[in-house]
Parts: sequence; structure tokens; C-alpha cells
Amino acid sequence: MPQQAERETLDVDVLIVGGGPAGMSAALRLAQLQKQHGGEPLSIAVLEKAREVGAHMLSGAVLDPRALRDLVPDFQQRGAPLGATVREDHVYFLTRSGKFEFPITPPPLDNHGNFVISLNRFVKWLGGLAEAEGIDIFTGFSAAEVLYDGNRVAGVRTGDRGIGRHGEVKSTFEPGVDIRARVTILTDGVRGNLTKAVVRRLGLDAGRSPQQYALGIKELWELPKGRVAEGTVIHTMGYPLRMEEFGGAFIYGLPDGLVSVGFVIGLDYRDPMFDPHVTFQHFKRHPMVASLLRDGQMVRYGAKALPEGGWYTVPRVFADGLLIAGDAGGFVNSMRLKGIHLAMRTGMLAAESAFEAVRAGDVSAASLQSYERRIAGSDVKTELYPVRNVHQSFNHGLLAGLAYSGFSLVSGGWWVREPMLSHAGFERVQKIAEYYRDGRPDPDATVNPAKIDRQLTFDRLTNVHYAGTRHAEDQPSHLIVHDTDICRTRCREEYGNPCIRFCPANVYEMVDAGDGTRKLQINASNCVHCKTCDIMDPYQIIDWVPPEGGGGPQYEGM
Amino acid sequence: MSVLVIAEQRDGKLNRATWETIAAAQQAGGPLRVAVIGAAVEAVAGELAAAECERVIAVEDQALGEYTADGFVLALSALIEQEQPALVFLPHTYQTRDFAPALAARLGRPLITDVTGVKKDGDRLVCVRPMFQGKLNADVAAGGPPPHLVTCQIGAFRADSAARGAAAAPVVKAAVAVDVSRIRQKPEAPFKEAKQAVDLSQASRIVAVGRGIKAQENLKVAEQLAQALGAELAASRPICDAGWLPMDRQIGSSGQTVAPKLYVALGISGAIQHLVGMKGSRTIVAINKDADAPIFEVADYGIVGDLFEVIPAIVAELNRS
Repeated sequence: MPQQAERETLDVDVLIVGGGPAGMSAALRLAQLQKQHGGEPLSIAVLEKAREVGAHMLSGAVLDPRALRDLVPDFQQRGAPLGATVREDHVYFLTRSGKFEFPITPPPLDNHGNFVISLNRFVKWLGGLAEAEGIDIFTGFSAAEVLYDGNRVAGVRTGDRGIGRHGEVKSTFEPGVDIRARVTILTDGVRGNLTKAVVRRLGLDAGRSPQQYALGIKELWELPKGRVAEGTVIHTMGYPLRMEEFGGAFIYGLPDGLVSVGFVIGLDYRDPMFDPHVTFQHFKRHPMVASLLRDGQMVRYGAKALPEGGWYTVPRVFADGLLIAGDAGGFVNSMRLKGIHLAMRTGMLAAESAFEAVRAGDVSAASLQSYERRIAGSDVKTELYPVRNVHQSFNHGLLAGLAYSGFSLVSGGWWVREPMLSHAGFERVQKIAEYYRDGRPDPDATVNPAKIDRQLTFDRLTNVHYAGTRHAEDQPSHLIVHDTDICRTRCREEYGNPCIRFCPANVYEMVDAGDGTRKLQINASNCVHCKTCDIMDPYQIIDWVPPEGGGGPQYEGM
Repeated sequence: MSVLVIAEQRDGKLNRATWETIAAAQQAGGPLRVAVIGAAVEAVAGELAAAECERVIAVEDQALGEYTADGFVLALSALIEQEQPALVFLPHTYQTRDFAPALAARLGRPLITDVTGVKKDGDRLVCVRPMFQGKLNADVAAGGPPPHLVTCQIGAFRADSAARGAAAAPVVKAAVAVDVSRIRQKPEAPFKEAKQAVDLSQASRIVAVGRGIKAQENLKVAEQLAQALGAELAASRPICDAGWLPMDRQIGSSGQTVAPKLYVALGISGAIQHLVGMKGSRTIVAINKDADAPIFEVADYGIVGDLFEVIPAIVAELNRS
């Protein structure tokens, strides 16, 4: 770390790291509590790595408005960008060229009363409300590390700026700022880099099941008017996934002919040659989907991982000076395919506990444990506890999963073994030699390629362009591969470099090393911050760390 | 209205924006004088004498060898006292931006900056300057006693429209004493972020290479073509990432955007990130082995073939003619 510049410090009462739905709801709730209770105002800051509020937000998305109703009761009058009210739900099971509609919509997928939204617009709106309440939102600042006093979380250090590609200090160097806080609320999203570090250091996942992740890939399409009515919600299962793979697609109708089309794939597939991005292309080529998208235009692209493990995978979400909320804590209902309302709710509950603790002058874990009690007494538990084993049941295949899902609706989620046994997804990927017993596929070719026509289907690189992602070029790679020798030797042999397939943004490439072998090339500036590589690498040697603040995708309407 | 233009030079090299400023000053009318200051400015003064003007004033002092705001303000305020011009024109360079406000304050006179046009309104000079990031143009006229200071936006006036005199104007030396003890700044060596970037946007022909070139040593094939065409060499991202060419030669969304008369793409597949940086080129020639490569969708002329066979043939043909 270069020494010539003095590091600045900033002291606040409550620091919120990550300006997503959880972080913004926490900020807004804190502002409300302050108003309600009066007294010396708390200083509150929100850190957000995107250049502007909402630019890194991506979701399907269907919003269950219950947390919003509590947080902003007059949300309609205040112009909440809620897209379209859900008017119809369809669930299909797809075969290679056919489809079967579920005669009744399974209850968890009933979206009556919900809204089809753009999360990016929604969070921008929430951020505006928070700013109007006087909350400081620092955009373009990434949080690089957690600051500790002993084992007490004392705030975060923001990332340095102006470090060159090889770690050299540039003339634009500015050291990161130490933001010291009495309570730090981590809302750094799925596989948040700070949450990951703090959970590890403080052992917050002791006794919890491993998190189960999925990868969501999404495109926004402009379609001829009337093709997909606004408020239409379509979910599919089956093709192009096989019985052994968990996931499905969504098609959501927004106003003005805009349609969200996406695919969610469990990051616990067994086939090392499986390619989520190609699978999404196959999906779009299915006759039902292709006919919907015909003559339309893909206008945006993005990808994001999501935590689907549910109740038993939520770590301990409090420690001395620390609270964790939203996707960072794993608050997603994978059976309902929803997490925004839980992110908002946990953000609000975290705010209440933080406010109480700061006012009481006791920010110890014992004091902040009130957050856990609040969650247990809220709709977060009533929603997540009954489906606590559902995602894990899909570890045993689609049929077992569907059977258990139905069973859980009547059993209240009970299973003979609590929690149901599960493994981290990356451990389930098999080696090529185990999976392909009849012959080794070429690791550089796609096993089941999809025709790319750049109308309906796209290659990764073209898609990435539509994510609008940008990073300062002259900075160290923010994807740290701890041992690239493994890539060219062991991984190539054992797994065929799955990173080049599971990354939806063409960050990882195996290029000619000039000596007949291949070597890893990291195109870090393509990264859309989905975190899949950090999650899915079979050797767990990839660390996603935040790039220089402001870098990343530029999602608009996603 | 007599006008004094302050030329800018560094190490005996005239900044070409000076000629633009002279053109602007000539439009303002009135007898014109051009001053140039530095430690040794004789050659530059001689160069400036080509302009249609009364005289060129060389202000020389050892203390002015290296630029300091204090030194320049001292010298120029003394010079302006002596010359008594009605208007002082300066190019709106970084250096001018540094000292001109102090100069105006020292003289107690108005300063109109970043001017893009001048017109006469009777006896007054009206300057046009952009406001609100160029969304509006304002007409600005200075009041109060002369001289009035004006800085001219770079590129707003044409250097080649500056009138040249029938004979060289006389060069006179001005006696301006600079009191070294009043210079508070100590300049260090000029700072350079990196070595001078190539400005590919100025090139009229570009030969760009992509992954199809396969190895760094094959770049000479492309270089031969560039030489034969009198073109600049550029590349798509993978080539610069690999360090085969410097990053300032990268074309595309994370590099430069160009629109030359001729763009020859060698072994470039045409990823959209590259296309956005060059699709405005007037004529695009693509050579690629893959007939389905998207580069052919934007190419005016396409050759499906092995660039290692095609290029030498083109080079041989070009060298023959």
C-alpha cells in the first residue's frame, strides 16, 4: 500500500454497505425512525459501488409489495415505478418443441396483486426518497475490506483509486477512506465480498447449511405492441434443462412493449461442460419463445447470481457492530422466485435494531441480536421456514424436487432429517472423466452449441455489450485467480475450464499460450458483477473483489 | 482598436493555437502586434513575423525560460503597460488558463474566456462564448477602460485563415525587467502521464489487426501493408491485451473511436465492441478466413481468405504501382 498520501477517516453512526433494495430500505427506515423519535440526529451513510444509484441492480422482477406498503405507505402517490400490475400467470413445462401448461398455477407462483418491475428503476426511486430524507449516498465507492477493533466490526475501508494494471501507483492515486461506524449494515448482495470475509472470519455460518446459488441471465426485449400483454407473467420448466439440472425461465410483460426474458439455472449442475449462456440461447430458440420474440429487438443484457438455499443457509446475521440483510444474508424465497420484498423487510428490521442499539449506546452482538428476534417474529420467517428444505430437495433431481415441493405445501416443510442434507453447488460438478465416460469432449468447444444469429440468439461478447459494462482499463484485475497453473493443467484436464462457460460475460478465456498449450486470460473489464465465478469455481481459487469504484454494468430498465 | 496577441511557445516551439488567435485578432480589426515571451524566442518571433501585423515583440528574460504564473504575469503586465493595446488576445490553452485570471486581476481589467467568435458592434468588440456546456452561446462585451482580455477557444478559429503579410514584419525586443525574487513558484520537470498517445482519430487510413494475426511476429505483415498504404497501425482489443501493440492503438468501445477514409480490418471478427469504434469509417475493407464473421456485415469490400496470402499480394501490387 503506497504511503505518500494520508488516509482520511469518516465517522458515522450507521454505515450501510450496498445501495440495493435492502440497503436503501434500511436507510429510509433509519430516516423515518429518526423523525419519529427526534433527538440528536444519527449520521447515516450508504456506500454504493455503482456510478449511480441502481446501475448494478438486476432482477426478473416480480415485486411482492408487502414490505413496500409498510415502508412507503403512500408509494403510489410518490410515483413508485411499479411497471405493470400482474394480470395473468402461466406456468409451462417445455419439451424440445412442445409445451404443457399447468392447469392451475402452483400456489407459490401465484402473483396476483404483485407488480412486474424494473429493479434498477425501483431502487433508483428508493434512493431518491432516502436522499430526500438527508441520507448521504456515496456512489462510485466500493468497499474493499471490513475494519475491525478486535473482533468488533468497526466500519469499512473503501477501495483505493488510481492503481495501475500491475499494482503501480498512478498520478491519480487516492487512497481509500476509512469509514468508521458504530453499526455497519452489510447489504452487499449475493456473495457480497465483505459478507463473505466477515462470515469466514467470525464463523457466522457455523451450523448452517451451505448456501445454494443460482445464476440468472436476463435480456430486455422490445417487442411489437400486444405480443406480450403488460402484466403477463410466464414461467417455464423443463427444456432445455435436463432432469438433473435445476432452473427455469421467466417472461414478464412490462409496459410499452418491453419484455423481460430470462433464465435461472441452479449453480449445482453435475455436467462440467454445461453452459448456462448457451442454455439460454436454446431456450429462446424453443418455438414458443421464438414466436414471442420474432421481429423484436434485444436492448439490454445482464446477469446476476442469486442465493436460493433459504432458511437453513442464512448465516448468523449479527455480530458486534454488524448486521447483515438482503441477498447478502440469503433472504430469498426460491419457491416463489422472490427476494426483493425480503431484502426490503430485512433491511428495515436491521435499521430498527441498529437505531435502537445506537440510541441505547450498546452496539454489541447481544444488543444487535434483537434483529434476529425481529426476523423470527416477522413475515420473513413465516415465509421462509415452511419452504426451508425445498431447494435442497431439488439436489435429488427435478422429479424429487417437484414431489417434495408439493409435499411441503401440506407438511409445513417437514422432512425426516432437518435440515435436509445438501452440498455446496461447486462440489456437485463432476469431473469430465466421471461424467463423460464414453469419450472426452473438447474443452474449447460447446457440447451442445446453439445457432447464433445475432437476432434471436447472441454470443456472450455481443451480449456483454448490452450490459453497458465499463471499468477503468488500467487497474489490477478484480478477479483474483490464486493459482493460474491449476487452470492450464489440472482444471483443463479434470473439468475442462468450466469458468469459460459459467461466466455469462466472457471474462474468462483460455487462449493460445504460444507453446501449444492454453493459458487463462481474464477480461476483467467485461465483468457484470454477477459473482458466479467466485461461487462456482470447482477449486474455489477465484476471488471476486470490487474493482475501482464506479466500474461495472450500467443497467437501465433491468 | 489596437490588438496585442500573446503567442505561446515552449522550448522554442510555437503552439499552433497561436495562429488561430492571430486569425481571431485580425477579425477584431485594428493595428495588430504579436508578443512572444520566453528565455530565447528569436526563432519563434521570426516565424510569427510572417503574420500580417505591425510588429512582433520578443520579450526575453532568463527568468521566463520555464513557465511560472508569477513570471508571466509580471512580464505581461509590464508589456501591456508599455504597449497600451485596446485588446489582448490569448489562446485558451492550459497555460493561459493558469495565468490569465491573475493577469487580468493585476491589471484590473475584464477577461472574456473561451471565445468562439468575435464581431464588431460599432466601436465595441462583441465576443461569442459557449455557456451551459455548449448548449447556449452568449454575446459578451466588456465594459470599462481598456485593455480588455480575450482568450480564444482552441479550434474555434482557423489557423490557415490568419492573414500573412507581404513582407516579414519587423521584430523588436522589448525591455521588460522581471524581478526574480517576486516569482514564488518553483517549476518541476513537466509532468507526463504516459508517452504521447497516438491520435488515431486524425489518421486518414488505418490498418487494424485482430486475433487472426495469431502471433506478435506476424504483425510485420500488417506493418508492411500499413506502410504501403501510408496508414496507421491499430488493433482490436485482444492484440492490445496481449501487449503486442500499445493500448493507445486500440480501436473500440474501450479504446479509440475513429472514422478514417480507409479502414482495413485484418483478421478481426467484428465484435460489436470493435464495430462501435470504427463503423463510421468511409470505406471498410475486411480480410478474414471466416465468411460468417460479423465484420463482413459492415465491410464495403470483403475478402474471405488467409490474410497471410492476401496481404503480401496486396502489398506487392501497391508497391508496383
